[in-house]
Formats: sequence, structure tokens, C-alpha cells
Amino acid sequence: MRTRTALAVAAAAVAVLTAGCSSGGATGGGTPAEPVTLKFLSLAWQKESIAANKEIVAEWNKANPRTQVEYVQGSWDNVNDQLVTSFEGGDPPDVIHDDSPALAGFASRGYLMDLTGKLPAELKSDIPQPAWDTVTFGDGKGGQGVYGVPFLQESQVIIGNKKLLDAAKVRIPTPETPWTWDEFAQISKKLTKGGAFGTAWPLKSPVNKVLNLGLNFGGTFFTVDGTKATVKVGPEEREVLQRIHDQLYKDKSADPSALGMGTADPLPGFYAGKYALLPAGVYLRQQVVEQAPPGFEWITIPPLKGTSSDQGATSQTLSVAADSKYPDQSAAFISYFLGSANQAKLARGDWLLPTSTKAASDPSMTTKENGWDVATASAKNLVVAPYLRVNGFDEWKTKVATPALQQYFANKITLDQVAATLVGEGDKVLERYSK
Amino acid sequence: MTLTAERTRTPPARRTPRTGRQGRETLILMLPALVPVLVFSVGPLLYGVFLAFTDARSGRNAETSFVGLANFGDLLTDGDFWASFRIGMIWAVSVTVLQFAASLGLALLLNENLRFRAFARVLVLVPWAMPPVVIGLMWRLVYHPNAGILNSVLTDLGLLSHDVDWLNDFSVALPAVIVVGVWTGMPQTTVVLLAGLQGVPKELYEAGHMDGASTWRRFWNITLPQLRPVIVTITSLDFVWNINQFGLVYVLTQGGPGGQTRLPMLFAYEEAFRYGFFGYAATLGVAIVIVVLAVLGVYLWRQMREVG
Repeated sequence: MRTRTALAVAAAAVAVLTAGCSSGGATGGGTPAEPVTLKFLSLAWQKESIAANKEIVAEWNKANPRTQVEYVQGSWDNVNDQLVTSFEGGDPPDVIHDDSPALAGFASRGYLMDLTGKLPAELKSDIPQPAWDTVTFGDGKGGQGVYGVPFLQESQVIIGNKKLLDAAKVRIPTPETPWTWDEFAQISKKLTKGGAFGTAWPLKSPVNKVLNLGLNFGGTFFTVDGTKATVKVGPEEREVLQRIHDQLYKDKSADPSALGMGTADPLPGFYAGKYALLPAGVYLRQQVVEQAPPGFEWITIPPLKGTSSDQGATSQTLSVAADSKYPDQSAAFISYFLGSANQAKLARGDWLLPTSTKAASDPSMTTKENGWDVATASAKNLVVAPYLRVNGFDEWKTKVATPALQQYFANKITLDQVAATLVGEGDKVLERYSK
Repeated sequence: MTLTAERTRTPPARRTPRTGRQGRETLILMLPALVPVLVFSVGPLLYGVFLAFTDARSGRNAETSFVGLANFGDLLTDGDFWASFRIGMIWAVSVTVLQFAASLGLALLLNENLRFRAFARVLVLVPWAMPPVVIGLMWRLVYHPNAGILNSVLTDLGLLSHDVDWLNDFSVALPAVIVVGVWTGMPQTTVVLLAGLQGVPKELYEAGHMDGASTWRRFWNITLPQLRPVIVTITSLDFVWNINQFGLVYVLTQGGPGGQTRLPMLFAYEEAFRYGFFGYAATLGVAIVIVVLAVLGVYLWRQMREVG
């Protein structure tokens, strides 16, 4: 009797559990007749940029009552861990804001939807091919696809203290006649006097910066053969490493105490005239505008030239999850969100460069004010960063390259040692991914 | 109560038939409690152990196959794992030892007849009331290179000439994190030791006093031996807690700079959720379970021996 009751209870429990599971799996494929809600994970973090994002979403929601978009706030700090969990759990946001280095891994694992053929021709032609290259990846099964729409890009420029530059009577470069690395080194030396340094390299996270600038001398750092990548540190790759190191320890024209800083940390010292030139991403202009003491004059100096001015570019992107139940609506939302007018708004909000050519010709993007003209002009130097094609780059970066480069710039190991580590230990890491 | 009393009276030979029926009843009564344990605790554990023998990776087109002991082989030759394991041991041992020393001092102090003793005892519990993430955020502000209170106090005292970036410096990051670990774990250790101290019979101290033993001798020959079971218990448990610490260090440094504070749990987390090697991460989990079981084994063995 008792046993039977227990069995009945157990059977009922099993029935409830299975029912729970099956109903969870069967609710897919929403009919277009019903209004749908898309989840949009945004990583905007600057105040102006969040406002711009929310404004565009609100406009869309007003114009499209049948496809409502829910704005979900994410953070760059942990977005990729969070996404892996939600992809594996099968309930990712429909529209995902991220950047191209992350997309490469997600695409090969099949988490993202291939957007080929889902985007209007107008959007496709508005964004130049080099930008599309930053979101075109292998699908992990031998094919290729477009896994996001690139919309914001960052180039490396130099922010200069105008008074100090004028006082030293140095040539102020233009995008057509930029400083070469040699010229930059000489000028930094000239500006180093009276306890002040010519420049400061904040290299707390050195890898992307060094790799992006490495292209100035044709340094790609990787050779990719199909799905298998190997690390290479030849004479081209060594140029930028050596030049930064020289400024720190040979010319002594770069402040060594800035080494452990993140990009924005040297700003107080920069305002105080401790260093005259600050290499940084274009977005740092925003903080200078907002925080600089009154009367502080600054200029944006175009990217340096090695054998070329090429810089490795990655993009911020919007993608659609492969598990999204509403792929077409999501693609439509992205196309609207990244139309040229909206891109100009987003670029202003984040102080970055829009990929849209129409947005880049918007008067607000070419004004002399706050160096927008120089920043926007630097977009022509951006080429796809070679490391985007490397499976396992993230692990190489955290486990091998970041500590090795930090030690090199702290003058604890030599250039030959850092090169040997990057290649030797690096190839071991990358091997796991080509299995 | 009655049950145990009855059982002690029943001779062992006649107990067997009773346990049969009683056992089944007990089982049925326990079933509602057992189901959640099996589903939410034993199930995931077994699944984790199973994963450790596969090459499971993240991704929709990843195929999982059984690889036997290959992951364990990789683990033994993985320099990063050993580095992380070494850091984990330094962390767990030093936090446990320092925690114990500091807590014992504090417990002895609070056991004395001080003014505001009750208030002080409540204050000691404060770190316990905070979740690890809040503690991490708070200490990040304390250690902040420009705005942190630590740098400004040390500079004002003339002990520092320039700001130290405590959590990003290769050589001070781990010690800095250990300090936070000690601070966080002190309340429970202090409370347990204080309880133990209060259980030490006063007569022993009186007798010691009569025989002219110094304070130090009384501590060494009375307090410590009397506290021994408590000390063994709390340090073993502290060790297990510390080696499994994740949240605090994740918030403080995320394992940086350059892996200097990458505890084994952080390493496993990165392997799984950053790089997507679920199988290998499960292997790491199993390895840590083995270490913890070894520590607990020593602890249980001692406990059993004392009872025996």
C-alpha cells in the first residue's frame, strides 16, 4: 500500500518534470501575426552613448508596434562569459552588441547567425569592405559568413598638449603629412625637459595596442594557414616593441611610471603637463573635453607612420544569436539601428569612428572642434587586424602575451626573450584550438 | 531521544529484523528530502566527474567524445595549472594560518573581561555580514592607486613616496589579496575559537595559577591543548573554504596581473567560460575535490581517533 503510494508520487513527479521540459522546448517559432519582443543586449557605458542607444530603441518601438525591442544593459567587463553561459543555456539575447575579436570565437562555435543575405543593400554599400572584413569569419565547419554588422571603430591617435608643443616649436602634422615614428621619437626627446616627459605609454593592457600599431611596419604577429595559426615575431614585429622600449629606457623620453596605467589613468598627469603627448584611442578625447581644467589647450595628432600608417582595426558590432526565434525581425532592427543617421549619433555618443561612409561625412564628424576632423580622417588607415582570424587569440593574449609584454616593457626581459615566449608558449596555446 | 535510548538497550543480535522494516520507513520518510539532494547536488557532481573524462567544449557544433584519462594527463603537464595550484596553496595556507593567528588573538582578547566587550563582539562579526562581492568592491576602493585610502594614509605618514597600484603590481598583488582574505574569514574563526575558549574549565587555570605557572605557560599548557579539537576543526574547514574561494578574488583582481592571483577556481572558470574547454575545466574541479577530500580525510581521521 505504502509502496504503491510512493510509486504513484514518484510517477507524478516524473510526469510533471517531463511536462515542464517539453513545454520549455516547444514554444519556439512565434507567428508573425503576434507582436514579438526582441531582447537587445547593449554594452554602451558612457552617459551620452547610453542616451543615444535608448533614444534609437524608443524611436524604433514607436514606429514598429509589432516588434518591440527591450533594452538590456550589459557590461564589457564580463559580457563574453555571460554570453557563453546564455548561448549554452539556449536563451541568449536576440540582438547582441559586442566586438569583432569576440565574434570570431562565437562564430566558429555556431552561436551566431550568418547575416549574409539578411541585410538591405543600402546598409551593405554604406559600410566599406575593410569594415566588413572585421566581421567575416569561418563558421567552424569550413564555410564563411558575416556574423555581425560593424558600426564603431577605434583608431590610435596622439593627444597633445598644445602649449607645450607650440613652446617647443615642433611641426604640427596633418593627416596628409603625419609624423613618422622617427620624428615622434625626436620630438618626444625635445619635449622631455624640466622633469616633464615627452610622452607616456599607458601599457597596462599592452597586447591589442602593440598589435594594432605593429601594422605600421607590416608586423602581423601571426601566420594563418586555414584554421591553423602560428605566432611570428620577425623584424617587422619587433619594430614597434623596440621603439616603445627605446623611448622608455634609451631616450628616457617616456614616463616609466605610466606603464602600469590603463588608457585613461595618465590624464591627470597630462593636464598637469607631466607629459606632452599621450598616445590613445580616439575615444579618450571625450574625457579630455569633459575633465580638462579650464584653459587647457589640446590637439589631436594623426596616427604615426612607419612604412605605412596602417593600423589594425576591430569593430564594435551588432549580431543576431543563432538561437533567436525572430531572426528576420532582429536583422531588420539592426539595419534600422545602424542607418547612417543613427550611426553618427552613436559615434558622437562614444567618441568613436562610424563605419558608415555617409555618417562619416556628417558635418558633426568632420568639424575641427575637438579633433573630429583628424579622428574621422584616421579611419582610412584602418585595416582588418590579423589576429581576428586567429582561433585562441584570447587565451594567447591573457596567458602568454599580456604577461610577457608587461615584463618586456618593465625592462625585466629582453626583446629576444619576449619574442621567444610569444612564439614558443604561444604556439602551444594555439595548438589546442586547431585540433 | 527515546530512539537512541531504546537502541542502546537492544542487544545487537535482535536489532537486525527491526532495522529492515524501520529502514524502509525511514527511507520513505527521507525521500522528499533526498530528492533535492540527489537532483541538485549529487547529480551535478556526477555529471561534473563524467565531463572530466570527455573533451566537451562549448559550441553548437562541438562533438563530445570520451577521452579517458587524457585530460588528467594534460593537467599534470600543464605549467599554467601548476602555477595556479601553487598560488592556490600559497593563498589557502597563508590565509588559513594568518586567519587563525589573528583570530586566536582576537578571541583571547574578547574572552577577557573588557569594557564594551559585548559591543566589541558584535563589531567582530561585521565582515561576516557582507557578501564577498561587496567586500571585494570595498577593498578595491581601499587599494585604489589614486583615490584609495591606503595610499593616502601611507603617504601622509611618510611611509610611501609614490602611489602603489596594489592590485596590479606583480609582487604585491597576491599579498594584498591575502590580507583581504584574512579579514573576510576572521569572524567565523574568532567566534568558533571564542566558543571553544569559554568551554575551557576555569579550575584548570586556577590550578595553574596556584602552581605558579606564568601566563605564557598557562596558555601553552592549558588553553592550547584544551582548544585542540576546535582548532583542528576550524582550520580544516577554513582551509577548504579558502582553497575554494572564488567570488572575492574574482572581484578584486580577476586573477591578474598576469595570472599572479589566479587561484585554481579562477583558472577553472576561465577554462570553462572564457576559452570554452568544459571537459578540461571539469577535470580541474575533480582535481580540487581530491585535494579537499585529502584534507578532510586527515581531519575526519583525527576526529574519529579522538572519539575512539
